[in-house]
Amino acid sequence: MSPDLHHLSGAYAVDALDTDERSAFEQHLSLCSACQSDVHELTEAAHALAALTEAAPPASLRTAVLAGIGQVRPLPPLVVDDAAQPVGGDASTAPTHDEPEPVAGEGAAVARHAKVVPLFRRRTTWIAAAAAAAVLAVGGVGVDAWTSQEPELTAVQEVQQAPDSSTVTSSRGELSAELTYSRELGRSAISMTGVPPAPDGMTYQLWYVGTDEVARSAGFIEPDDGRGQSVLEGDLSRAAAVGVTVEPAGGSDAPTTEPIVVLALG
Amino acid sequence: MMDRMTAASSDPPVTDSEGAAARGPDLTDLLRRSARGDEEAFAGLYDATSRRVYGLVLRIVRDPAMSEEVTQEVYLDVWRTSARFDAGRGTALSWLMTIAHRAAVDRVRSSEASRRRDDAHASATQEVDFDATAEAAHTSIEAARVRKALDTLTEAQRSAVELAYLGGYTHTEVARLLDLPLGTAKTRIRDGLIRLRDTLGVTA
Repeated sequence: MSPDLHHLSGAYAVDALDTDERSAFEQHLSLCSACQSDVHELTEAAHALAALTEAAPPASLRTAVLAGIGQVRPLPPLVVDDAAQPVGGDASTAPTHDEPEPVAGEGAAVARHAKVVPLFRRRTTWIAAAAAAAVLAVGGVGVDAWTSQEPELTAVQEVQQAPDSSTVTSSRGELSAELTYSRELGRSAISMTGVPPAPDGMTYQLWYVGTDEVARSAGFIEPDDGRGQSVLEGDLSRAAAVGVTVEPAGGSDAPTTEPIVVLALG
Repeated sequence: MMDRMTAASSDPPVTDSEGAAARGPDLTDLLRRSARGDEEAFAGLYDATSRRVYGLVLRIVRDPAMSEEVTQEVYLDVWRTSARFDAGRGTALSWLMTIAHRAAVDRVRSSEASRRRDDAHASATQEVDFDATAEAAHTSIEAARVRKALDTLTEAQRSAVELAYLGGYTHTEVARLLDLPLGTAKTRIRDGLIRLRDTLGVTA
């Protein structure tokens, strides 16, 4: 993810982003556990400042508020269903989600994933890893937006709620990965747990591996405290598998290390 | 962390970074009951938090009549969305204050409101600031703690955080107000909040 977006967490916590930045950051936030944790803590810290400005409202306000609530029905709780299922009636009323534009600062990554680099000697690695990985299809796991007052369809939810959404998982020891994808949308989202911290100067890079055995960069995942989530960049349509490798910070044009995870797509 | 289990507990958190929530009634419980339509619980929530909500809104919006309006909207929104509060993602007070802050900021960013705020600014600022400060100083141990924490920020961080949070300005406006290069203010805000978080011992 773009460091530019990470650095918006403070301004977001105090509502100091303008409207466009706010929505770009919220989209990022729904996928970035590091930022969620940041925003969470920084928001709590910011609200401590409100202890400095306490002021008693007029008594008439209390009366007005309590009279007002009598006429408003509290919303039901959000019930997160198995998102792998088609959402039925909700689909028509769900907010539409524009095709996400590459956000500022991610231009470099976008340029990178356009390159197509043959895997050469990595070819056998991917196949072996895919065969060795325990791959099974399971239901999706619902992820609601960070601020769920007016639920918006995040990129992850969009993938999960696609009628043809499927999920594959793979685990090895502590490490576990789950990929939800939709052929129809041509998109996928990965979430990982038990990920060891990347070595200094290294990063976790995502790859779409085509039926032609070519790996195309699909962006990065930045786990925090072992957990991470990311929507893959690029088009899923020709992919047969998704892989994760450790690469030098900034990413590589082609995988340079053994994949830590390979998920074969059905 | 995202998956912490406090959501499952009906007891108030033992260590509450907000302080006020730990001393006062269990806001999480009041919110839960409100979600089930318990108006008495909601009145309790209002009584426990309205000074803080109204005070913050007034500080940002400045115009008392408009501040009352915004505060009323905030509480109606809290009532309406109370079932959406997720204790795993922060304290009830923080959730409520997030709604209040956002509402106040949204209000002042509409141009009409900005004009009214500017008009009210000259007459009300001094008075409001003094009252709020004086009141907080002798009523709240927490305020003293927050002041002390604010003192650990650099002057630059402190100004940026205060203008953003208490002033309701965007980071672009903060940069302009503090004569900083564009983009610098958001870093100052973030660094300031991190310092504040560490001093206050906030954990997610």
